[in-house]
Amino acid sequence: MRKILLLGLAFLMASASVFAQGRVVTGTVTSGEDGLPIPGASVVVKGTTLGTATDLDGNFSLSVPQGSNILVFSFVGTETQEANIGNRSQVNVVLQPDVRSLEEVVVTGYGSQPKREVTGAVSSVKGDVIENLPMQSFDRALQGRAAGVQVRSSNGLPGGAVNIRIRGVGSITAGNEPLFIVDGVQLNNQGNASFTQDNPLAFLNPNDIESMEILKDAASAAIYGSQAANGVVIITTRKGKQGKARFEFNAFAGETQPMKYLDVLGGPEWYSMRRDGLIQAGVGNPQANSLNAMGILPANWQELGAEGLDAIGLGLPSYDWQREAMGSGRLQTYELNVSGGDEKTTFFISGAYNYQESSFRPVDFERGTFRTSLTHKANDRLTLETNINLSTISQNTPFGIDGSSLGSPAFSSSTVLPHNAIYNEDGSFNTTIRGVLNQNIVLVNEYNSGTTNTNAIVGNVAANYKILDNLTYRGLAGIDYRMITENRYRDPRTPDGQGVRGRATAANDWRTRFITTHTLNWNKTYNNVHNLTGLFGVEFNSEVRQGLNGESIGFPTFQFRYIDSGATPQFVGGFWTGYKRQSLFASANYNYKEKYLFTATARYDGSSRFGANTQYGVFPSVRAGWNVAMEDFLKDSDKITDLKLRASWGRSGNDQIGNFAARGLYGAGGNYSGNAGIRPTSLANLDLGWETNQTINLGVDFGFFNNRVTGSVDVFDQRTKDLILNQPILWTNGFGTIANNVGELMNKGIEFEVSTVNIDKGGFQWRTSFNFTYIRNEVVSLYDGLDALPANPGIAVGQSVGNPPFPGSQAPGSHFLAEYAGVNPATGRPMWFDANGNRTYQPIASDRTYFGSNLAPYYGGLSNTFKYKGFEFTAFFTYEYGAVVSDGQYGFIREAGTRLALNTLTEIVDRQWTTPGDMTDIPRNVGNSNGGNEIRSQGRNFGTAALLNADFIRLAQLQLGYTFSSSTIRNLGLTRARVYANAMNLWTYADYPGYDPEFTGTGTGQVPITKSYQVGIQLGF
Amino acid sequence: MKKKNYIYKYAFTILLGLSIGVTSCDINVDPRQSIDSSSALTSPEGVDAAVNSVYARLRAVSNYGRDLLAVSDALADVGRTTSNSGRLIQENNNQPNAHFSAAFWQNSYAAINEANLILDAVELGVSGASSTQLALWEGEMKFLRALYYFDLVKAYAYIPTAIYQPGIVDEGGIPMPLEGSITSDIAFNRNSSRLTIQENYDQIVTDLNQAITALGTANRGGTQYASVGAAQGLLARVLLYRGDWQGAVTASTAALASQTGTVLEGMSYVDGWRATIHPEAMFEVRFQIAAEAIGVNESLQTTFTALLSLGNKNSQGGWGDFIPNQTVLNFFGLAPLQLAEPANDNNNWDVTRNDDVRAFLYTTGNTARGTRNIECIKFLSKAGFVYGDNVPVIRKSEMHLIRAEANYHLGNVGAALTELNDFKELRGLDAVTLTGEAVLEEILLERFKEFAFEGHRFFDLKRYGRGLVKTYLGPNNNVPFDDFRIIPQIPQREVDGNPNLNQNRGY
Repeated sequence: MRKILLLGLAFLMASASVFAQGRVVTGTVTSGEDGLPIPGASVVVKGTTLGTATDLDGNFSLSVPQGSNILVFSFVGTETQEANIGNRSQVNVVLQPDVRSLEEVVVTGYGSQPKREVTGAVSSVKGDVIENLPMQSFDRALQGRAAGVQVRSSNGLPGGAVNIRIRGVGSITAGNEPLFIVDGVQLNNQGNASFTQDNPLAFLNPNDIESMEILKDAASAAIYGSQAANGVVIITTRKGKQGKARFEFNAFAGETQPMKYLDVLGGPEWYSMRRDGLIQAGVGNPQANSLNAMGILPANWQELGAEGLDAIGLGLPSYDWQREAMGSGRLQTYELNVSGGDEKTTFFISGAYNYQESSFRPVDFERGTFRTSLTHKANDRLTLETNINLSTISQNTPFGIDGSSLGSPAFSSSTVLPHNAIYNEDGSFNTTIRGVLNQNIVLVNEYNSGTTNTNAIVGNVAANYKILDNLTYRGLAGIDYRMITENRYRDPRTPDGQGVRGRATAANDWRTRFITTHTLNWNKTYNNVHNLTGLFGVEFNSEVRQGLNGESIGFPTFQFRYIDSGATPQFVGGFWTGYKRQSLFASANYNYKEKYLFTATARYDGSSRFGANTQYGVFPSVRAGWNVAMEDFLKDSDKITDLKLRASWGRSGNDQIGNFAARGLYGAGGNYSGNAGIRPTSLANLDLGWETNQTINLGVDFGFFNNRVTGSVDVFDQRTKDLILNQPILWTNGFGTIANNVGELMNKGIEFEVSTVNIDKGGFQWRTSFNFTYIRNEVVSLYDGLDALPANPGIAVGQSVGNPPFPGSQAPGSHFLAEYAGVNPATGRPMWFDANGNRTYQPIASDRTYFGSNLAPYYGGLSNTFKYKGFEFTAFFTYEYGAVVSDGQYGFIREAGTRLALNTLTEIVDRQWTTPGDMTDIPRNVGNSNGGNEIRSQGRNFGTAALLNADFIRLAQLQLGYTFSSSTIRNLGLTRARVYANAMNLWTYADYPGYDPEFTGTGTGQVPITKSYQVGIQLGF
Repeated sequence: MKKKNYIYKYAFTILLGLSIGVTSCDINVDPRQSIDSSSALTSPEGVDAAVNSVYARLRAVSNYGRDLLAVSDALADVGRTTSNSGRLIQENNNQPNAHFSAAFWQNSYAAINEANLILDAVELGVSGASSTQLALWEGEMKFLRALYYFDLVKAYAYIPTAIYQPGIVDEGGIPMPLEGSITSDIAFNRNSSRLTIQENYDQIVTDLNQAITALGTANRGGTQYASVGAAQGLLARVLLYRGDWQGAVTASTAALASQTGTVLEGMSYVDGWRATIHPEAMFEVRFQIAAEAIGVNESLQTTFTALLSLGNKNSQGGWGDFIPNQTVLNFFGLAPLQLAEPANDNNNWDVTRNDDVRAFLYTTGNTARGTRNIECIKFLSKAGFVYGDNVPVIRKSEMHLIRAEANYHLGNVGAALTELNDFKELRGLDAVTLTGEAVLEEILLERFKEFAFEGHRFFDLKRYGRGLVKTYLGPNNNVPFDDFRIIPQIPQREVDGNPNLNQNRGY
């Protein structure tokens, strides 16, 4: 492989020299950074197309025509240098790293700006930071990387949903998803798969990303108008760079592992827990009742007596269902990309394969991606470009994404009674499983099947035309196409498929989104001090989503697994939905000597989603900045290198509501006597409009000690006004609710980012970056002067609205519950506080108060990197503090097998009350008497009893890498060679009894997130 | 090179043109699985479909799917619960708030609103509709509106023949909007107050009389739809509840004379309960396909019996939550009877029966959910699929009992007794010789027997101002007529949201 590529390389260079004529100039190009030769640097005779590239030793040889004396040397990431050769035939050039181009440009709405001119709150994450991480989508990789950006995996499904919140939760019923923009194509992260979670952002290989910019304040985002209320994430993908073709090969492979196995009881322990509980409760025949609950009471139990039964119970075997159903999984990635180009055309092409298994086989993720990016300079005025991303993804689906289904391994493996054997002695599956969870989940997992396949195309074509030297037109047309095809089969050999002789379900869902954007950019400088730029644009968006699905039952044998083989169709379904949006926008920048900066933007958006009276909205913003460091009194300071004060105000909108939420409609429903029916399904609200987000942002960007310490601090007050809530309608008026713009929500906070170079001496470098965010999220007002929503009192004035678990779901509200007061030390009964602070066994509705929400107010990340002579070591931590969660899986487990015959944690049994005087939070076990609870008492998980603090600090990434020096590898024909070992989620500090504090949703039966180890290699040639 | 430039300019013009073209176009997007409310009722096909939905809402669990039959009887003194699934226990114990549900109110008013919208559209005229179609829609919608309002008012208010006056302001009847609500203006601002009970009944009678006229010119046939006979039958019942005895006699006589429904006798009556469509039905709620079945938890079948079918009693069916009490068992001489060995085979069990043919509507269930009980099998997979039996709303037999009762109150005691004895003969019973008030009691007893598990008993007691005698459940289970639990709570959200709506006493 390498030989072939080298041959190709040699051929390229040979062909370049064939055309060389005139006098010959030779020389060497070296790097100013490390003094090593630069292979592949471009050497061009100025004013001509004559040129060559340096060879592996940095040498070049070029024929220079008579009269041409200047050579232009350039290379990616270095400053371009011109050399006047005079009469010399030997020229050696040192190229210096281009600090400005590497560090200072920030992509903003419909353009880019030098960082020193940015006046909004924008965080930037470079692609190399997230390179080669075993993550299926780039949103996951943002966790802990930027202040104000909170990222949680919804679960451990590879390629599953990722919960990303930019500056808190700004909406209750409309969505909270940021706008993602890849190559100018606007995307969202709402998955549409039915049988597993898919993440639309997984279409992009994260290694194809150059940088990610996060527009956080409304003023920066307002240029995106009605989609920008939840922030904007702009992805810049890698593009080709001038020079000879450069190949890059990446590969890594490793293993995923469960973060944790729960320490559950064995058979004898469960027996004695139940027996002792029944004795506590005074139930007769506790031994017999316990064995009966475990489904193994012998017929002659009365003859055996208590001792005989004890012998059976205490002699029971124990089986580890978790280690059978869960385990390690493989992961691997291979990738090859090539980039290069000449003065007119540059290209970047990459292909990648990615595979990852979850901790619950066979749930996995497999992806192939192909990306091509071409830019062609047609003439001095016209540049054409295209970016095309193709991807195909295949996922083996879990039994269910969540929930307490008996057949779900993620639910049952930790809760099934442990005395049940998994296999019979002859190795076949044991099908007689005792207890309420009466399915052999290992069998179910083995026999059922399901796949979700996603094919996606995201691409664009664009033309840039220089109308005047300072006026440029850009037209872009983009497409986002996604097709999901799913099949699921409940095997007739499993309990769920048995009664119906197999059940197959199929679903298709395809989405086509089209966007076209046209902008005019203008700039002019007056008197060398007044810099003016302007932007005007129009944009049009449309999306259509449709689907078909069906199900059938009654299969000849289990080998027939597609819906066509079923004897009885169960249902056929389908849907169609869509929207359109059109927009005008403009922005103007003015700065005086780059010292005083002003920006104003406005967008006029129209969306088909809103009511006829409010279809259009205006979203303005203003920003101002003062580069204090450029003032005379600081200009020469060696302590303060950079200092900029920023202030902004802006308004953006949220249009993430149903496509037809504003319409008064009749829908299909109410068939009668074999004839189709229709009925009113929604009430028209002609005034239904955008939720608007108004943010005031104040910020400081700083750089001290020659920029060894850089960072920024932002404080913001973000108000969501015209909050959309479902307001009740009298049933006597024929409807239940109507979506209406009422209410207000606040997210107030502070963000802090700092990067430091702690040591940079003798080749040893230690860099740290740290970020911290605090956000207070609170409802300011609801409708009709209400203090809390009648349908969900957790959403209340002055309280956090909580974090909606998945795109499209509503904010859950704060926990509004009776406070748990622990266990009465005298009796072991659970107690709660009533409204007056007294202890009670039976709290009532009016005893409820607020106990925070699942939205963490504090979060951030810390990264330390050490480099020494090719070695580099990175430790990256993320943390969250202050979220209070209800974890359904833990809730079942905390019952200690009382309500239902489920397994529980050893720790809970150890901690439960047994004798008067015990001070504990776990009530005495009463077996299953009275439904597992004390008489005249609330249940043991009632109120705040089972709430958990989801605080954690996690060593999200630990990496040790070694880059071989170019002199070593040059002989192998390589320009770069690096090996590394990486561990993800290696260590977590959390006081959390369930699988893991990082999840969204109910927590019941969800695949928990995993840790992983891998080793990899990166080669450049 | 020149040609190339030409191409670039051309491409540039296209892009620019595209930008102007697309951005000036209309951004409206219409759904494809729904249509605008404003256009829904403008075609005959649209109105036909909307009419179906008003019928379909009768199938809801909160209405004829279960509650108007099973919750009614659980509230009354017809039976007891088994705790197999835990359902209907609270209703059976008459616990506060365990009554007709909020969903009953919600679903009924939604249906009434749909009917009102159709009636509004009919009044405005539907282009392309014939006068026959207009008459049919008017007749069917007025019949259904009358039925929904009658079901609401008999539940949420006292019945005109026995209005309890607690000495405070009478809460009255129910809100009775007659105009359709499809704009946010009406939806937000119309705060309908409770009419008097008298006004409610007046409107129901008006609707039924207009329905009779309209359906006289057009009807579809089939007892799943409104017909003149069905409207007369319902009118007879409404007038009986209202105490308009002469009217009740007239209406029930007209209903009996109609071609709708057949009064059955002897074993053919029992067979009537096995037929997909009950031959006695004057109006029946149709469950057409398995997908419309209510399911294993809340259907009438699962509520009343644990059997899946009569063919094999061992097959596990529903829950069998609500079963006859001793009074009902005594009516028909029902007691468990083992037919063969072994005893644990449910097919070896049946019941003893007396001469009353209605005894064949009861048998022993199975042990799949617990104890083997004697259960009512009026609803047992009649339509060929489980948990979705058609539900008779008015059976023609009721007309005889209405006319007898009304005649009694008119002083025609002889005619009343004759009609009662004729009816008893149809059910295999001997004639009785009674005088005075005993005749009325015997008529009410006959109604109890005839309509057990069909939801009449609770209202028969209520319209005579009688309390619920339920000592068979426990010493404290009686509910005197002056107890607030006779009337359900109006859904609190409705009272909260409507300043003109008074809550019922006690809630």
